[in-house]
Amino acid sequence: MLRLFVWLLFVSTFLLSPFVGAVDLDVTQLLVHDSLSHTLFFELRLPRVVFAFFAGAVLALSGMLFQTLFRNPLMTPYTLGISSGAVLGAGIAIKLGLATLVFGVASVSLFGFLGAFLTVLLLIYLSQFLHTAYNTSLLLLGIALSLFYTSALMIVFYLGSSIQNDMLIRFTMGSLSIIGWEHPVLLGGVALALLGSILLYKYELQLMSISDTSARLKGVDTKKITLLLLLFSSLAIGVLVSIAGPIGFVGLIVPHMVGKLYPITIEKRILITALFGGFFLVFCDSITRALQTQSELPIGIVTALIGGPFFIYLIVKGSEK
Amino acid sequence: MISLEKVSTAYKKENILQDISLEITTHVSILGENGAGKSTLVKLLCGLQPYKGKIRIDGQDIAQLSLLDLAKSIAYVPAQLEIYDVTISVEAFVLLGRFAYKERFFAYSQDDRKKVQEVLALLNLTQLSQHTMGSLSSGQTQLVLIAQALAQESKIIIFDEPTANLDPKNSKIIGNHIKELKQKHQVVLITHDLHLAHFIDSPILFVQEKQVRFETDFFQAERLQALYGVAFDNLAVAYA
Repeated sequence: MLRLFVWLLFVSTFLLSPFVGAVDLDVTQLLVHDSLSHTLFFELRLPRVVFAFFAGAVLALSGMLFQTLFRNPLMTPYTLGISSGAVLGAGIAIKLGLATLVFGVASVSLFGFLGAFLTVLLLIYLSQFLHTAYNTSLLLLGIALSLFYTSALMIVFYLGSSIQNDMLIRFTMGSLSIIGWEHPVLLGGVALALLGSILLYKYELQLMSISDTSARLKGVDTKKITLLLLLFSSLAIGVLVSIAGPIGFVGLIVPHMVGKLYPITIEKRILITALFGGFFLVFCDSITRALQTQSELPIGIVTALIGGPFFIYLIVKGSEK
Repeated sequence: MISLEKVSTAYKKENILQDISLEITTHVSILGENGAGKSTLVKLLCGLQPYKGKIRIDGQDIAQLSLLDLAKSIAYVPAQLEIYDVTISVEAFVLLGRFAYKERFFAYSQDDRKKVQEVLALLNLTQLSQHTMGSLSSGQTQLVLIAQALAQESKIIIFDEPTANLDPKNSKIIGNHIKELKQKHQVVLITHDLHLAHFIDSPILFVQEKQVRFETDFFQAERLQALYGVAFDNLAVAYA
């Protein structure tokens, strides 16, 4: 019942979402070329909804992947410092003045991806020295890295001009404001690559969700598969963060929400998690736009405000028995 | 047959086992003090521990075997369930033992599922097959771990302290199953449980001071006292 309600809510918001915003659309003008409504709908609203959907899917899939690979419910790209790495990379690109119109988009994205990717490599390298690898120590490492990156970003702020800092601050707030189809297509590509790689290795992942040792003893090359899936995930996260900035909470809560709503084994939850994450972020984004505040409410605030209480409800309800 | 040839292994630069040469042709029970290197010996056989020297199973160097082939020749039953996702059902959990036989990127086959039903029936677990792993008692959990290892259809099965968390009644049940499995598998048992080792009645391999050796009069009170440094009497009362 709860499931049905949630999906109905999600799908209807998804369909209505492109029509919500600061400017009311004239539906009769929608298919008329060069009309304001046509441009608004096809160049701003629709790309944004599609982008939000892929962004939510990437965050939820990555969260699920990290929690499974490292068997810890707190593991996400966010808590492991990978998002912060991407933010720092993108911040450095902005500070270096690489955010020009010609090369701007590309170099900020590239630096964002490098930040995420290098952080993953660093985590994998450092985890070799941990006795209880892939567990609490790794999480602590991620938190330490996050704090380190935040401080490094402060230095970038300190050295930046006020114009650059304004760009940086807006960037770190996270925003789904995009124009045109370039970004949704790019993100869609990496999102599908991530989904595909996870689906391809779903049986290995199922074994690894038990324990790393047990998976190896059943014949899974856990090191290779961890590395491969982390690569796809950091690619997707890097691309996402470099375009939209960091969006917290989705990667942490969506996999758990899906787990509570669908208590089935991991390999059957992959597709549901991707869809749920996508719809969830579109839902949150629709609310930021429907509120019609002076300037747009950062998306991360809404994901936390809506996701938090629902998450707590599910945890309490789940522990009642 | 398992053979070790001049095998050494270290942890944090300190040798745990040194220049071990050994042939295990049949069932064996491995005993020794805490920290003597029993678990390390098992990790070596499972390919989980780096080492110097040669380890062969039926003449094949395990360093040359793929993880999948190794899984087909050795199954490992841990002392306790180490699991992140406790919502998995018993049936789905046992099915994971079939991974090495599954075609890559494809689902588990009907044969795999049939094998799972067979081992569940063998261990009287059929009525538990839809329960979640998180809902089982320690005794049931140990049985399910054995079922998963049996689904692996390997010649060698390693039991790592199978009774460590069990009460005497469940220890007896597990002991009976292990003894039965000796008919079809080469059983390697690691344990501190002298009653169990006595009941299983396999040759005793004792690990002490980075060395291993077969013990012939292990269960003699004097010998036990010499090995463990504490007095024993009348051990055989254990299992009928």
